[in-house]
Amino acid sequence: MRTKLSEIKWHLMLTAIALILIIPIIFAISNSFKTLSDAYSNILNIIPSNPTLNNYLQVFSQLPFWRITLNTFLISAAVTVFKTVTSFLAAYAFVYFVFKGKNIIYFILISTIFIPFTVTMIPNYLTISSLGLSDSLLGVILPQLSDAIGIFLLRQSMRSIPRSLVEAVYLENVSHIRIMKDIILPLARPAVISTGIIFFINSWNEYVWPVLILKSQDHYTLSLALQTYVSQESGTEFTVVMAVSVMAMLPPLILYFIFQKYIIDTFTLSGLKG
Amino acid sequence: MYDIKFQNVMKAYGKNVVINNLNLDIKESERLVLLGPSGCGKTTTLRMIAGLEEITEGKLYMGGRVVNNVSSGERNVAMVFQNYALFPHMTVEDNISYGLKVHKLDPAEIRKRTDHAIDMLDLKGLENRKPKELSGGQRQRVALARAVVKRSPYFLLDEPLSNLDAQLRLHARKELVKIHEMYHQTLVYVTHDQVEAMTVGNRIALMYQGVLQMIDTPSNVYNRPANVFTAKFIGSPPTNIAEAIVNEGKLIISGQNVSLPEGWLKKVKENNCDKLYFGIRPEYTRITTNYTENAFTGIVKYIEDYGNKFGVYFEVNGTEFISVCDENVPVKGETVYFAPDYSKIYLFNHESTKSIGYPEG
Repeated sequence: MRTKLSEIKWHLMLTAIALILIIPIIFAISNSFKTLSDAYSNILNIIPSNPTLNNYLQVFSQLPFWRITLNTFLISAAVTVFKTVTSFLAAYAFVYFVFKGKNIIYFILISTIFIPFTVTMIPNYLTISSLGLSDSLLGVILPQLSDAIGIFLLRQSMRSIPRSLVEAVYLENVSHIRIMKDIILPLARPAVISTGIIFFINSWNEYVWPVLILKSQDHYTLSLALQTYVSQESGTEFTVVMAVSVMAMLPPLILYFIFQKYIIDTFTLSGLKG
Repeated sequence: MYDIKFQNVMKAYGKNVVINNLNLDIKESERLVLLGPSGCGKTTTLRMIAGLEEITEGKLYMGGRVVNNVSSGERNVAMVFQNYALFPHMTVEDNISYGLKVHKLDPAEIRKRTDHAIDMLDLKGLENRKPKELSGGQRQRVALARAVVKRSPYFLLDEPLSNLDAQLRLHARKELVKIHEMYHQTLVYVTHDQVEAMTVGNRIALMYQGVLQMIDTPSNVYNRPANVFTAKFIGSPPTNIAEAIVNEGKLIISGQNVSLPEGWLKKVKENNCDKLYFGIRPEYTRITTNYTENAFTGIVKYIEDYGNKFGVYFEVNGTEFISVCDENVPVKGETVYFAPDYSKIYLFNHESTKSIGYPEG
């Protein structure tokens, strides 16, 4: 009975938190289908009184929207693939290779997580522009090919794989690439997938770095496109901003729904085994 | 050809020495059991043979070749791990054939070997199951099958039966010996269970704190222990060990004395030591309540009931002995007489704790 009561308490609390988190999303979706005047007079109504698709159509007419979505996708995909692959390889080395100073190198690497972006922003910008890569997608991608958080998450997950499994393969005279492919990747798959998703979503939503590098509208990403509407002086077109927001958050949201099981697994596991 | 030889091998983790100057010859095709309490270095020894632990000092020969720097994969050993190390994402069949597939063996040969192992180890019908859908005994058999299909000349087993219940263990033990008799690999088996060691091994190497205590046949390890540790470790209840002095042909324990036969006196003289440890197994300790000449006198302190037998704890002037009896069991507080069977006793040097030897005949 006591467990039941505390369970109910937990459920109530979590439901409340979930509601608080989801309200802005519902707000955005409902307002993206309202006319501007309807939005201003009945901003909290969830159901629009005159549902309209005009906001969405306006976005398509004013911006190279498909192009911008493609840019965002290309950057996010490249960043995700590179970060995941490099994190996986580094984590494998940190778990299964024996070399001098392994732990020190690892801790230095992990401590880079705590270096704020603003510190690396200017050196990175100078490097990219001296390479002649400003205003290019490659310039956005290049400084983001590896990530200490990914190494941390994947290392945790690999450490939870019993060592004897890998030793059993060592006895078969198998290459490291084959060990990764046959044993580690299948067993660490949930962690790899969720790490990838985290990278993808972060990159998808990234604003400050792309805004520094990308100048022309043809190279814009979705967050930059959103910003152009917000900062327009001729009265923000609030409902159009909501429409762009909804379209911008759809792909990561869909990804999350497909893979949510793995994401939760990874975080609970890395928490327990830490 | 497929023998294994440790020559002055030392293994240390930092400053912590876990194997100290190990010299051990394992003959081709024999079943050698590494036995000892946990933490004695037996698993480390096995892992050094597998190439999973580096050797700090000394040389390890396999098949006449120094293998210190040869990787595990090139040593051609098959190993069964304590936790079986089955790949959880593969089916039973894939687990068994994985090594063969990696080496790109002819598919017909892979099929043949896998089927044979599945048949032999009674795994039919389980081929497509994942390890988590198997019982402990089945997992253990899959691990065995995976090692068997490799047809390696070296077969290493790290406490392979420790996760099984007593009945299954008995069965698996027999199965293992059967497999060895079929393929005659050089088999090294690690266990802390002395019964397993006795039944599986042609020879037993007993280890303690990183030092090899004794290596011999099960019968000699049991009946002619080389030192106090061996005598105490092997057998249950453990061997009675008591400090003793030999003086003028008498064996003196806690102030009481009995005459020692000529053969033993000669041994004591040869070793030139009169301070000794006296040892005798509880099952060879015959005690009686009738007065006996040339016997130690003790008082019964405690009785344990084993079901078919009784353990009688008695004290000879403060030195505790245990005797196993099946009839004429004395009662607590009663006086008992204990005349040792001199063909079954052990005498150890007090200083080195090593056996002073055994009289002939």
